[in-house]
This record gives sequence, structure tokens and C-alpha cells, in this order.
Amino acid sequence: MLILKYLFYIFVFPGFLFCFFAGLILAGIDRKIVARMQKRIGPPILQPFYDFFKLMGKETIIPNSAAKRTFIAAPVAGLISLVTISLFIPIFKFSAFNAVADVIVIIYLLTIPAVSLIIGGSSSGSPYAGVGISREMVSIVSYELPLIIALLAVGKKAGMAVNDGMVTFSLSKIVEYQSLKGPMLFHWSMIPAFLAMLFVIPCEVGSLPFDIAEAEVEICEGPLVEYSGFPLGIYKLNYALKIFIFSSLFVTLFLSGNGTGIILFDAAIQYVLCIIVVILSVSLIRAVTARLRVEQMLKFYWTYPTALSILSLILVWLGL
Amino acid sequence: MFKKIIEKSFEKSPWLFHINAGSCNACDIEFVATLTPRYDAERFGFKLTGTPRHADIIVVSGPVTEQSKDRVIRTIAQVPNPKVIVALGSCPASGNIFAGSYSVLHTLDYYVPVDVYVPGCSPKPEAIIDGLYKAVEILKNKRRDNK
Repeated sequence: MLILKYLFYIFVFPGFLFCFFAGLILAGIDRKIVARMQKRIGPPILQPFYDFFKLMGKETIIPNSAAKRTFIAAPVAGLISLVTISLFIPIFKFSAFNAVADVIVIIYLLTIPAVSLIIGGSSSGSPYAGVGISREMVSIVSYELPLIIALLAVGKKAGMAVNDGMVTFSLSKIVEYQSLKGPMLFHWSMIPAFLAMLFVIPCEVGSLPFDIAEAEVEICEGPLVEYSGFPLGIYKLNYALKIFIFSSLFVTLFLSGNGTGIILFDAAIQYVLCIIVVILSVSLIRAVTARLRVEQMLKFYWTYPTALSILSLILVWLGL
Repeated sequence: MFKKIIEKSFEKSPWLFHINAGSCNACDIEFVATLTPRYDAERFGFKLTGTPRHADIIVVSGPVTEQSKDRVIRTIAQVPNPKVIVALGSCPASGNIFAGSYSVLHTLDYYVPVDVYVPGCSPKPEAIIDGLYKAVEILKNKRRDNK
């Protein structure tokens, strides 16, 4: 019975199927909103589904110079790690596997999709992919610093109240704190960390001002240049899942709380908050900006978002 | 069930790849105009991709010159099946004003099978969207016949 429950968790509700639909619809909403902001009609909201299923029906070409097994396995590894994260993120008070993972595991697992892009790109043997993966590495280095400092600030803030003043990395503790004292966002010392995390989302998912790794006009989509058919579809799915999972993590860290107690309502509220976060941080920025250069991105992330999250960390450490 | 979904998806999500085989740039500008907010080809799911591996519809503009012949053939060979080739403008169809030039060899259909011709020098964005939509129908039929 317990195994059945876990299988349900993994494959249906917070796991694969839920993520599949939630992520692709979220990506569709993002595309539609950007189109409306640019005075276009835009693709239908189901467009990412069409893209995904079309790629499933296309021929898969594996180049002669590619390492065949790595080439196919890399996107699947990224997908599996993303589904795994979804099991660890609490939806208000409900979470599938609670005690076994904390924020540090999630940070590691969040890096794997980017690493899978790097491995897949480097196994394809294309020079464009080579340029793309070096850029992808720079983007990992740039967003990771403000992200971790912001998470430290969140952990310290929650730990002050529920963990005897020690930093806590347990997501259930952070949710518990928020159900006691209200969402993190309403504590003014957390607002700089909140803004820093908002800036981290577009880089993490690789949307427009920071999509230097997959720049389609300069380096032919970078690591994805040789991909076609099934593995490309999985990469497109990974992109959609990344948007959903990172915004879901964001909601859990900053906007969580007591919830209603009924899982269905909680999931719906979480999803609506995810849509709002994505519109704010991904769609709005994507609609009005052009692509940055590599060093501009690194410079941006290591100054403003890092400074904001350090400010938040100092404020929390002072007990404000 | 999946077969039906995939067939419908081919209709809804055709990705484009643009090859300039020696065009004077006029067709290219009109082609880019179809993707801009005014004509917005994205509402039909058209998307311009950066690499031939992602493409379903290959749009070729310009006469096939001696320099570009090999590159056009090789690029089109890299596109995964099913694929549709669209000849944009009069140049790839007939050579247009460049016909008989020392560097222009043949029409495009001498080298690769062309499915849709969009005539004009240069064609209007409306005509291009119409041509692309015909290409989508052919793409769907190709998918149905192969599987």
C-alpha cells in the first residue's frame, strides 16, 4: 500500500504527470503574455504541448561525431532530476517526501538540468555546442551566488524562530515558520532577498535577457544545435518544468503559509501564485529586453542581486 | 490516441528554417516581416529556429548560385523527416532576373524536391503566410503517409 502511495506521488500528483501539465501550461501562458505585451495575438496556450508532441513524431538524427548513449541519456537525466525536485517541494503543508531532503539537496538537483545540457551539448561534437556550454557554465556560476546567499537569509530568518537561532535548511521548517508568522515576503528584512530571487529565476530557466547559452541567432541554439526529435522534445519539456519548479520553490520560500488544509485547493493556490511570479519575473522582463553578453550577465548577477541578498542576510543576522 | 495527437501537433507547430541561397535580401526582409507583431506568424505556431535540425519547413530564398549549391543541398539533408521545402520568391523558382548569369546554375527544384512555390519579387507577407499554410498541409500529409 505504501509503495502504491509512493508510486502515485512519483508518477501522478506532485511528480511527473502534474509537473508535465503544470509546466507546459505555464510555459504556454508565458508565451501568450509576452505576445500580448508586444501587441501580438500570440500562440494558443496549448502551444508547448503541440511542440512537444510534434517533436515526439519527428525523426531523431544522431550525428556521426556524437557519443550516442550520452547524447540520448543527458536530457532524460535532467528530466528525472527535475521530477525528483518536485517531490521535495512542499505545497503549503503537504509534501510527498518531506524528511529526506532539504534546500541543499534541491540546490544540487537544480544544477543537474544545466549540467545535463552541458553534457548533452559536449557529446554532440558540434563547435556551436562548445561555445554554448561555456556560456551555460558562466550562467550557472553567475546565478548560483545570489541564489545561495538568499537561501541562507531565508534559512536564518526561519531558524531564528523555529530552530533555536540556528540556520535551518529544512523546507518544512521554513513552511512552519511562515504558517506561524505569515509569509516571508511580509517581513521587511526579507524584501531584498525576495527581489534577488526574482532576478535569479530568468537566469535559472534561461529566458530572454539571460538566454545567452541558447542564443538561436548567434550560436544556433548552443548545446541544442545537433538535437532533433525525441531528445529535443525532452529538453523543451525540461525548460517548461524548470520554470514551474523554480517558481514553485520561490512560492514555497516566500509566499507559503498555512494554506487551506485541502491538497487540491492548496495546489491550485500555489499554481496561481506560480503564474503571478512567472509573469513578474520571466514574461515582463522577456518582453522588454534584448539578449545580454556573457560578461554583462556575470557582472550584473555578482553586483545587484548579490548585494540585495547580502543586505537581507545582514538584516536577518542583526535580528531585524 | 497518441498518433492522432502527434498528427494534430504537426499541423499546429511547424518550425521554420530560413536559407539564403544568394538572395538580394528583399525576400528575407519580407519573410522577417511575417514574424513581426503586425503579421504575427507565431499565432499559427510558426517559429524561426536557428538550426536545421529543429526545422520542419525549410524556406529557401534567392537563386541557387555556384557558391551556395553544395551548402543548400547539405543543409536541407540535415533536416529530420518529415520536411517540406518552400521556395520563397521568384528567384529559386525560375532564376528571375538572374537567370542566365554566369554564377547562377539551375532552379532550386533541379537539386531538391520543392513542395510549395511562393512567387513574387518580392512576395507580400500575406502571400508568404498563405504559402506557409499550404506547406503545413503538405507536412501533415507527409507524416500521415509515412506512418
